[in-house]
Amino acid sequence: MNKTGIAHIYASQNNTIILVTDTTGAETIAKATGGMVVRNDREESSPYAAMKAADLIAEKLREKEISDLIIKVRAPGGSKSKIPGPGAQSAIRALSRAGFKILRIEEVTPIPHDGTKKKGGKRGRRV
Amino acid sequence: MEGSSEEHTFQVRVPKDRVAVIIGKDGNSKKQIETLGEVRLSIESETGDVTIIQRGDPLKANITSSVIQAIGRGFSPSNATLLYEENYQLIVISLRDFAKPGSHRIEQIRARLIGTGGKTRRVVEELTSTQISVYGDTVALIGDYVAMEYAKEAINMLINGSKQRTAYTYLEKSARELRLKRIEESFG
Repeated sequence: MNKTGIAHIYASQNNTIILVTDTTGAETIAKATGGMVVRNDREESSPYAAMKAADLIAEKLREKEISDLIIKVRAPGGSKSKIPGPGAQSAIRALSRAGFKILRIEEVTPIPHDGTKKKGGKRGRRV
Repeated sequence: MEGSSEEHTFQVRVPKDRVAVIIGKDGNSKKQIETLGEVRLSIESETGDVTIIQRGDPLKANITSSVIQAIGRGFSPSNATLLYEENYQLIVISLRDFAKPGSHRIEQIRARLIGTGGKTRRVVEELTSTQISVYGDTVALIGDYVAMEYAKEAINMLINGSKQRTAYTYLEKSARELRLKRIEESFG
């Protein structure tokens, strides 16, 4: 009876994307982003936008009768920031408040085993 | 909770000399973390490996891993447990990215971040109401994510060689902006 989904939360400095798939990860069940719920570009990554996006997801998931969630959080990773953006925490909180049973939380930020050079060049980002 | 079927664990490695801080006097801070985070901690004091075994809320177990990381990065347990509050986050900046290996640059940067008698660190902490810890080759910050933006910018300015005064002026100028953003945030 209990249907399980995987919630992939991609929290960058500029946006938060929540994508729920089935346990194989191949079939998308629901999707929402921070940009779908706020007007202002700079607010896309805010905890508030993430919360609203999670509420949208919760609605869609109730329709599809999913009750359990495995959460996979990631930041941009690679040569970019390895710290999840501000939306990650509040998205998880909102999902658990919406009544889903969270089985576990995984961190899936891609970590390079020494990959490519960070963008910006030798002299760094010049503002 | 019925999590008996599958125990979920997190692994965090901390420096050996911070293991004692995690445990605390008579295991007090370990106990405190275990109750706050609804987890069980198993600490390998030989290597500094900390295994976090989830007992209840997975979200809290997840935060616990960053609490342990924060203590490993030089925070006191009382400051690190601030992370359990909403909107607080931990950022660790590695100074190795800013210095050539084997150079004394890291020591210089650390000195600049702390300042005479801790003045620089104190000013940045007070103006942004964050907590800053300079430990080993890293700088770690704990604070709410609005203030974090400004504190991170100020620290980057100092690392890249701005005068302390420039960083203070930047923070003083953006204090108004910060307050406005906080109010906006609290009303959603």
